[in-house]
Amino acid sequence: MPRRLWWSSFLFVLGVIGCTSPPTTTKQDRPVHFRIPSHFPPMVHPTDNEPTEARLEFGRRLFYHTALSQNETTSCASCHVQSAAFTDGRVTSPGLNGHAGVRNTPTLANLAWSPYLMSEGGVPSLELQALAPLHEPLEMGMNMMIAVDRLNQDAYLRTLNQRAYGRDSIDPFTITRALACFQRSLISGDSKFDQYKMGAAELTSKEAKGLALFSEVGCANCHREPFFTDYGFYNIGLYSVSTDPGLERKTHIKSDSGKFKTPTLRNIAVTGPYMHDGSMSSLEEVIAFYNAGGTGARLQDERIRALHLSAEDEEALIAFLETLTDWNFLQNQQFTPLSE
Amino acid sequence: MKSARYFIMACAALTLLLSACKNTATQEDPETEVAANGQFNLRMDAKWGNEDFVIEQVYLDTYGNRIRVDQFLSYVSQIFLVHENGTEVLLKDFYLANFENDVELPFEVPAGRYTGLKLGLGIPAAYNKHEDPAQYPSSHPLSVAGSQGMFWYWNTGYIFTKFEGKIDTTGTPDAALLDSFLFHIGDDPYYRELTFENLNVTVPANGAVDMQLRIFVDQILAPVAGSSLDLATNAVTHTSEQDVLATTFFDNYAAAIVVE
Ligand code: HEC
Ligand code: HEC
Repeated sequence: MPRRLWWSSFLFVLGVIGCTSPPTTTKQDRPVHFRIPSHFPPMVHPTDNEPTEARLEFGRRLFYHTALSQNETTSCASCHVQSAAFTDGRVTSPGLNGHAGVRNTPTLANLAWSPYLMSEGGVPSLELQALAPLHEPLEMGMNMMIAVDRLNQDAYLRTLNQRAYGRDSIDPFTITRALACFQRSLISGDSKFDQYKMGAAELTSKEAKGLALFSEVGCANCHREPFFTDYGFYNIGLYSVSTDPGLERKTHIKSDSGKFKTPTLRNIAVTGPYMHDGSMSSLEEVIAFYNAGGTGARLQDERIRALHLSAEDEEALIAFLETLTDWNFLQNQQFTPLSE
Repeated sequence: MKSARYFIMACAALTLLLSACKNTATQEDPETEVAANGQFNLRMDAKWGNEDFVIEQVYLDTYGNRIRVDQFLSYVSQIFLVHENGTEVLLKDFYLANFENDVELPFEVPAGRYTGLKLGLGIPAAYNKHEDPAQYPSSHPLSVAGSQGMFWYWNTGYIFTKFEGKIDTTGTPDAALLDSFLFHIGDDPYYRELTFENLNVTVPANGAVDMQLRIFVDQILAPVAGSSLDLATNAVTHTSEQDVLATTFFDNYAAAIVVE
């Protein structure tokens, strides 16, 4: 039985028995329909978490709320900063659990289409992913319950929670649903490249050359349109022995060592430093790495090989990558913090 | 499977609601006794040899290491009592045992003679990785609060057993225990079903009987039947990066559980 049906029968039973007072009338919540770029596939929402106004507002407030961290100084936005396409410009991010402090903060753009999350793809939904950063290493579980207590002291948030999910108090279920709902709204599909695809902009000859090269030399095999990722896992040969096991951590298969999920290249010009460990500081460095054919590490994917690109070709590739920056996304007023 | 579970949840919710409304309900049906029940108490005691095992107490293991266990938690699932006629009575679907305390779980079961006990170590695959802890009420052992940190948030799925503490590897008497050992075991292949047969427990009608499940912690480390596990040389696994060590630990753990 779908959960919604279950809830409605639950409410029905409540009504019939009539042993609780009738729910206080609150402002009606309204469904929200995201504007999906026409060259993107449709977005699928979990049946228990279709977007509504209250859910989005609740999620957006939680995303910027420091009550979610133990010492009340950190929010999701401390590491996922809108102006950097929800990354943070740091090499790696210090310390929350599930984010072991060894990985670079990834962008949150277009995650609604991602079949799984994290570098090793172990987390199947945004709802579940929201639990990861909420857990400090030493007090997992407890920490979420502290956050729940803190949030419930805010009458406005409680009302919002009630309107969004029909539950009187804020709990792990509503927190994770709301964060996921907000994150699904983080759609980036209005870059110069997108406008070019829709016939609304023209690429310079350098950008056009870069776009052609991107396919010719095989980047597009893994960084596939429209999200510039195929969600596959590859060892691109960064290290001969990877200190971060990558996919192997999940599969326990030795040959998966050093494989990471192909990252999206949308907004790539503003999301440096690059790679899972932030080890490359510029796009020039990344392109030089690919041009050299990686390091030739033992487990390196066979598609990463010397490209023999000229300096001009390298510049063209970078110019093309820069067309993937979506300025409207970086400044979208729907994603900014809300005042009290 | 899923729909059955929702149905059970709905029934549970309904029962809860009905009992919550008891004071306002007009009349109640007299309860009809079908068969006499008795109380079956399942105790889970961690032992170190013949003594009660105590968290944070220093022990000498068979390798001569001075060790101290700071945390020992374990999921036990699908606990069934097997009647002599073969009927299986579900006692509990999920339980998170924290061996900091002795565990005593009381159950009401039909009176009679029982000859077997079945239980799973860990969480069965059907519930392990496909569950969202946030969907359970906080009182449930699989919920965010109830799981007490026994969940792999980077990867989903429950940590079946946590066994952590400190060890002195210098061999100096009275030296502080400075090195750590840590076993976080959990993934579908590690789930173990244990069956204890040829038991003889009679649950008296309207009476009570105890059963002891003993976990010999000293034997996890130096088992009679399993493989050796010297905490001084082999001491840290989160399952994936040291799966051989994880398997050894979990096999030994399963072998160190005895019904008395
Ligand atoms: C301390 C910095 C930090 C904070 C705070 C933080 N994150 Fe992250 N986030 C990261 C890092 C680093 C990763 C990459 C983890 C990995 O791949 O193992 C990540 C990964 C993610 C991902 C997966 C992205 C993908 O492409 O797979 C999502 C979604 C996410 N974070 C959402 C959140 C939310 C929601 C919050 C607040 C509840 C949050 N993060 C708080 C640093 C942070
Ligand atoms: C075999 C698949 C594959 C091919 C081919 C490939 N990439 Fe990648 N790319 C990846 C993976 C996987 C990563 C992440 C590696 C890591 O983090 O360790 C990555 C990372 C990147 C990054 C850094 C992204 C970030 O957010 O940190 C850029 C930029 C990039 N690739 C551009 C390119 C370009 C340009 C080409 C063509 C010259 C190319 N890639 C070819 C799989 C591929």
